[in-house]
Amino acid sequence: METGGEEEQDGLSGHSPGQAPPSSASSLPKEHPQVELELRILEALEIYHPAKLQGLHRHFVLYGLMEYMRKSFEKQFTADEILQLLDRFFNLEMLKPDEEEVENINHEEDFSLPQSFFIKEES
Amino acid sequence: MGSSNTAGGGVREESAMEDGGADGGAYQPEMPAFGAFSEGEKVLAYHGPCLYEAKVQKTEIRKDEWKYFVHYLGWSKSWDEWVVADRLLKFTEENGSKQKFLAKNQNVDKSSKSGRSTQSKPRSSNDAKVDKEDIRNQAPRGKKRKGQTGTEEKSMRSVEKLAMLQFPPTLKKQLVDDWEFVTQLGKLVKLPRSPNVDDILKKYLEYRTKKDGMIVESVAEILKGIRCYFDKALPLMLLYKKERQQYQEAVHDNISPSSIYGAEHLLRLFVKLPELLSYVNMEEDALGKLQQKLLDLLKFLQKNQNLFFLSTYNGSKNMDKSDD
Repeated sequence: METGGEEEQDGLSGHSPGQAPPSSASSLPKEHPQVELELRILEALEIYHPAKLQGLHRHFVLYGLMEYMRKSFEKQFTADEILQLLDRFFNLEMLKPDEEEVENINHEEDFSLPQSFFIKEES
Repeated sequence: MGSSNTAGGGVREESAMEDGGADGGAYQPEMPAFGAFSEGEKVLAYHGPCLYEAKVQKTEIRKDEWKYFVHYLGWSKSWDEWVVADRLLKFTEENGSKQKFLAKNQNVDKSSKSGRSTQSKPRSSNDAKVDKEDIRNQAPRGKKRKGQTGTEEKSMRSVEKLAMLQFPPTLKKQLVDDWEFVTQLGKLVKLPRSPNVDDILKKYLEYRTKKDGMIVESVAEILKGIRCYFDKALPLMLLYKKERQQYQEAVHDNISPSSIYGAEHLLRLFVKLPELLSYVNMEEDALGKLQQKLLDLLKFLQKNQNLFFLSTYNGSKNMDKSDD
């Protein structure tokens, strides 16, 4: 079960400078079969589209994937571990950022402070 | 009774219904037979940060929500517009003092400027835009009718969640002061800033790492994400119009804004974060965790407010321009 709160369960991550991960997926935790990890990450991609990994939102998509995997295996995954897993299925370099995103983000507008900020809270 | 009217951002639907539907009395969340305000009714309407006397000219249900077509009394018809109930207040004495209070806050710095009415109407198209922005920002804020469904609903929901990102009051004030310096006084943040955004994020990571006894991967990833958002969003949505020229001068190719701008503009990014993050379509609990972490970062900014933020802005837009 989750311990709740915002504490990370990093104790197990085995990620220390001493053991830099080799290029294969072998640095991934052994306690879970590779196939299970792969299954989960593919599942997660239904929520977080891989194309988004190439754009502006890359880091938050990665964060989302890390959270998904953390929840599934009750251990912390690093961004690198996630990318290693994905690398088996995608050539991430080749992914194009999705067009909708580019469109949404590319028009220029002036900043404006929402009205709610001007309302002083009572007391 | 009635005390609920003093709360926050305008009349909430519930209290409005109580007041307006005095005859029928029955409040039906799905589809009220009457809107909170009736045609011909005199009201107070938010336009930007101020309240103005206005008259409801038409009412209509659109997308399961009452909309009101208002005319601002004493102002050109070109300002007439459709608004939702959140933008309107009953024309009562109590709300009248609220109007005066807001107007006074608005005009601290410009009341001496001209002989015009102290309740100056937003003049530039820029200000008018504030408004559209507001509607967009406020629509999802928990004020929708419960029964409503729609295609927008899903993306709205994540925005709604994050919109609850509560700014500590002192940071809220920081943003209002920031608005005032730039848009009202024509002052700018002198660039480059020290500490810049990169410094601040690095300091935060150090602080967290020390506190947690390790580098927390997810926090590190979020900070990267914030930096990435900042660099992209700064020219697109974090600048007031008056700051654009300065941006052109200060940021040349290959320099990232996060190495030039500081906490003042970083804080504005937090206002925009819900909108940006809505494109990620994050799972709810991941979003909840993220929200906690963002809040922690905000608190860090608050704790170091004196260190990170300028207390006054000095760089003026045009060197020769005095501000009346």
